[in-house]
Amino acid sequence: MTTTEELILQVLRELPVQMKRDRRIFISVPKDDLLKTINILSSELNVQHLSTITARDTGSEIEILYHFLLKGVVITVRTACSRDDPTVDTIVNIFPGAVLYERELNDILGVVPKGHPDLKRLVLPDDWVGGYPLRKDWKPPQESEE
Amino acid sequence: MSRVKLPIGPQHPALKEPENFTITLDGERVVDVDIRIGYTHRGIEKLMESRTYTQNLYLVERICGICSYAHVVNFTQNVEEVLGIQISKRAEYIRTLFLELERLHSHFLWLGVAGHEIGFDTLFMYTWQDREIVQDLLEMISGNRVNYAMNTIGGVRRDVSEEHRKKVLEGMDYLEKRARYYKEVAINEKTILARAENVGILKPKDALKYSAVGPTVRASGITVDIRRDDPYASYTETPFDVITTDTCDVLGRVVVRVLEIFESIKIIRYLIEHLPAGEIVVKVPRKIPEGESISHTEAPRGEDFHYLRSNGTEKPERYKVRTPTLANLPAIGEMLKGTYLADVPIVVAAIDPCMGCMDRILLLKHGKEKPGEIIDGDRLRSYGIKWYAERGWKA
Repeated sequence: MTTTEELILQVLRELPVQMKRDRRIFISVPKDDLLKTINILSSELNVQHLSTITARDTGSEIEILYHFLLKGVVITVRTACSRDDPTVDTIVNIFPGAVLYERELNDILGVVPKGHPDLKRLVLPDDWVGGYPLRKDWKPPQESEE
Repeated sequence: MSRVKLPIGPQHPALKEPENFTITLDGERVVDVDIRIGYTHRGIEKLMESRTYTQNLYLVERICGICSYAHVVNFTQNVEEVLGIQISKRAEYIRTLFLELERLHSHFLWLGVAGHEIGFDTLFMYTWQDREIVQDLLEMISGNRVNYAMNTIGGVRRDVSEEHRKKVLEGMDYLEKRARYYKEVAINEKTILARAENVGILKPKDALKYSAVGPTVRASGITVDIRRDDPYASYTETPFDVITTDTCDVLGRVVVRVLEIFESIKIIRYLIEHLPAGEIVVKVPRKIPEGESISHTEAPRGEDFHYLRSNGTEKPERYKVRTPTLANLPAIGEMLKGTYLADVPIVVAAIDPCMGCMDRILLLKHGKEKPGEIIDGDRLRSYGIKWYAERGWKA
């Protein structure tokens, strides 16, 4: 184990941390603790790079993964929100690099990052009304007969 | 003077790919930028959920036409991690060889584009001619110039012969000579200095603030390189230096890329000279178990990030891709603030953008639609489905 990994595990020892393999650390937190956890990463571990945010529809909820990078170690914070009320706090105030990733989440899975400064469409067309394509129950819009 | 909002794109003569910049100008100076992407969004992540792992191997390679191999390496590494298999040393070396050949041709290509953007088309002609040397080497080994189809789950599909090794080394000798010339040009040529020095400033604190990646951050003095920080393939045993500059401007981004060409040549020589013997592919179980994996590589443009969630079936549950250009977009806003309008193309080009995104509105001048009529995405889609159906294709 490298000193960076040891330091991360030491700082996060109170949290449910799982080290899956070398340089891959996962933390699972309820969404109410998301900002607190990310603040710890930023202030105590001096994490400065957000690689991206992944989200997926598990069928019962939307799982959201925040992938950070610290000296080659990928730290992933895992949280979840309900499919019916898919809100989660924005992390833009701590990691401004999240601004586009959160817009993408909103586009493709309908996750609403609360407090996001500029929640517009990113990848889907402005006039898109076809729902959230990455949800598992999503069906492509049927071809209309003209 | 009052401020003017200037929309550039999605279709604009100065842009090579469809994207939209709404630029607020005060006189000739840029005060604010709003970027809109998505004009060529292809829905690849969704599509991957309905394709088998073998089919996805080919789909992933087509995410990008330049750094295709970085994507396919990420994908195979993710699947191999979920399977819990280790590929052979020789396969790792061959993968690294292709990753570096890809970086070479990508950096030569970029240097040409940068030259073109500042009206220095001789540089464009020279570098693209030299890039052909790399393309020929890639084609010699893999049979393909762009999407090499080299990887398979468990290794690589084609071996490197003695003849190949000799040819690659010859190619490196030639390219090193050329790269020395480009280094001279980049540092001394007045036309480049006049357009690139102190233009498109990205301070280190802003590069970190916006989580930018690749040569863009390295030109702001930040020593980040996934190859060194989180080594994959054979980078643990391959000697190379991480190139940085502290000029924080477009010139710095030119210098970083030119010097990275030398590092890639150094890596390629090492790989060719130390290529271990052995099999190029290991047998893998047919069934991909349930699991998840993260793989990221240092693509020519920066960190390319992939996440795989498998569910035990033959198709992935979720596959996420974050390309380096998306990571660098928020930083562009910062670089453009305060620059002259005339410098916008070169500042944007300096992150080496590669927009992967879906056309939605087109002016159709044939078929049943009225000439010049604007149709929306849904009608365009129906039109496409019908067009193919009439020709015997099924959606």
